[in-house]
Amino acid sequence: MKKELPKIDEYNFPLIYKHLSNFIGIEVSKAGVNSVVLGLSGGIDSAVACYLASNALGKDNVAALIMPYESSSGASLDDALKIVKTLGVSHYVIDITKQINEYFTEERIGTDEEEIRVRKGNKMARERMSILYDYSYKLKSLVLGTSNKSELLLGYGTLYGDMASALNPIGDIYKTQIYQLAEHLDIPKSIITKPPSADLWVGQSDEGELGFTYETADGIMYLLIDKMYKPEVVVSLGYDENLVNKIYDKIKKSQYKRRMPLIAKVSERTINIDFRYLRDWT
Amino acid sequence: MKKNNSIKICLAQTNPKVGDLKKNIENHLEIISGAKDKGANLVVFPELSLTGYFLKDSVYDMGINIYTDESAVLEPVYKAAKDLDISVIAGFVEKDADFNFYNSSCCISKGNLINVHRKVYLPTYGMFEELRYFKPGNGFCVFDMEGVKASVLTCEDAWHLSSSYIAVNKGAHIIIVNSASPARGITAGLNKFNSINMWEELLSVIAFYYKSYVIYVNRVGFEDGIGFSGGSCVFNPSGEMEKKLDYLEEGETYADINLDLLNNERFKTPLIRDENLNLTLKEIEDILNKKS
Repeated sequence: MKKELPKIDEYNFPLIYKHLSNFIGIEVSKAGVNSVVLGLSGGIDSAVACYLASNALGKDNVAALIMPYESSSGASLDDALKIVKTLGVSHYVIDITKQINEYFTEERIGTDEEEIRVRKGNKMARERMSILYDYSYKLKSLVLGTSNKSELLLGYGTLYGDMASALNPIGDIYKTQIYQLAEHLDIPKSIITKPPSADLWVGQSDEGELGFTYETADGIMYLLIDKMYKPEVVVSLGYDENLVNKIYDKIKKSQYKRRMPLIAKVSERTINIDFRYLRDWT
Repeated sequence: MKKNNSIKICLAQTNPKVGDLKKNIENHLEIISGAKDKGANLVVFPELSLTGYFLKDSVYDMGINIYTDESAVLEPVYKAAKDLDISVIAGFVEKDADFNFYNSSCCISKGNLINVHRKVYLPTYGMFEELRYFKPGNGFCVFDMEGVKASVLTCEDAWHLSSSYIAVNKGAHIIIVNSASPARGITAGLNKFNSINMWEELLSVIAFYYKSYVIYVNRVGFEDGIGFSGGSCVFNPSGEMEKKLDYLEEGETYADINLDLLNNERFKTPLIRDENLNLTLKEIEDILNKKS
């Protein structure tokens, strides 16, 4: 019997919606503020996060930052603007081309094109993070994360870039489920149907880069992570052995991205080792 | 006072503020006062209702030795119970004379401490780490409360069916389950979290097969991203849900526990009367002998 990733459908959606809205509302108010700021790319993940935040906090307490680079797709910008218009949330368009290109003017000399492409992608993700945190201060808002469970597990994100946030409502929801959630949130079709892309360079595609589809990966990761099945058990259930191992390997190799930096223990009580309190500590 | 052989219970589904005893006491007092106005004899709060749940190292700061001067902090609750002639079950971190800490629930009735249940089964797996901080309790008490024989099981206690077996065979007529259960797991076609579904099935089984009223009081709110599911409810001895609070929302509901109906159920289906405790004892002794 193949166990499948549970679908977000019309039965469980209302409770999930309420749960995620409560999460945003309660955790934001605990920080002593009442608003969030998030990066809106025009993709489905940040769209879902924006819809959830607007429902939880009210449209006046959500600020969307649209931060295109010169190669960003025009359709992405249109989709992002469609979202802010539909929801009525405030937005800021901040082009990051100038500072990225300025930095790489010297850096790119004598460097391999492929390497520059990856470094530029990471730099762009961190530039956007840096602007988000600046606006977090400016607008007295928390940065809302928009990484889904699939990319967090696969390590398909930039450390201290798009992975950085104060709180993330969708980090325990697989990409396949994000699409289902989006359908129930009535997110515009053009956002739901386009292929997933980090849009860091022209023609980039998540699934092209990863070498598998999210749907396949999510089914496997659900068994490996949520169900805690060993890889060989997942294979015995009918999944391709090479793919299961490849995905498990990606999860293990990216574990560092999901943890705080290591601290050398010297004292009797060390931060995050045996100095243990909730972030909600009062 | 009991009317028509029944008592009225207020299920208080709260959102405790983690580590803030003072604020939580204020909230308890407000709810107790409101419950009295609605004619309740007993108010039940969730597990660790006075302190919050994922306390980690704060357990050390929250511990109260309820038999010493340290219990003075709870004085407003004692006073409310006395002045309002009402009983209250609330959760707190208990510290004993040897500096052990327990996940405890106290029952304060009309100004007197009449029972303390120390949680026996401390989950220490998955997201839970209770045994890291708490010492397990060593039994299940049945006590007389407002003229009714009651037993308290705290959250994981109820997942061990031996706990409710002990409670009913010791004479409990109502089983009070207070909890701090996180919402988790989804299923296509199911309009509740999987964890809620498991709870409701379990509570129905306990109520029906142990012919008892089961009062389940769970908390809501979030602690570091973990949300508690609420859905506090009452099951009657026919295994039917009589009252339920919304999932994920603070609130109170009231249930009239009618002992005449319990009498009727226990006569029609005398499972407790027919329970063969000697057989159970013999089998358990065999199991223990084989294990050793």
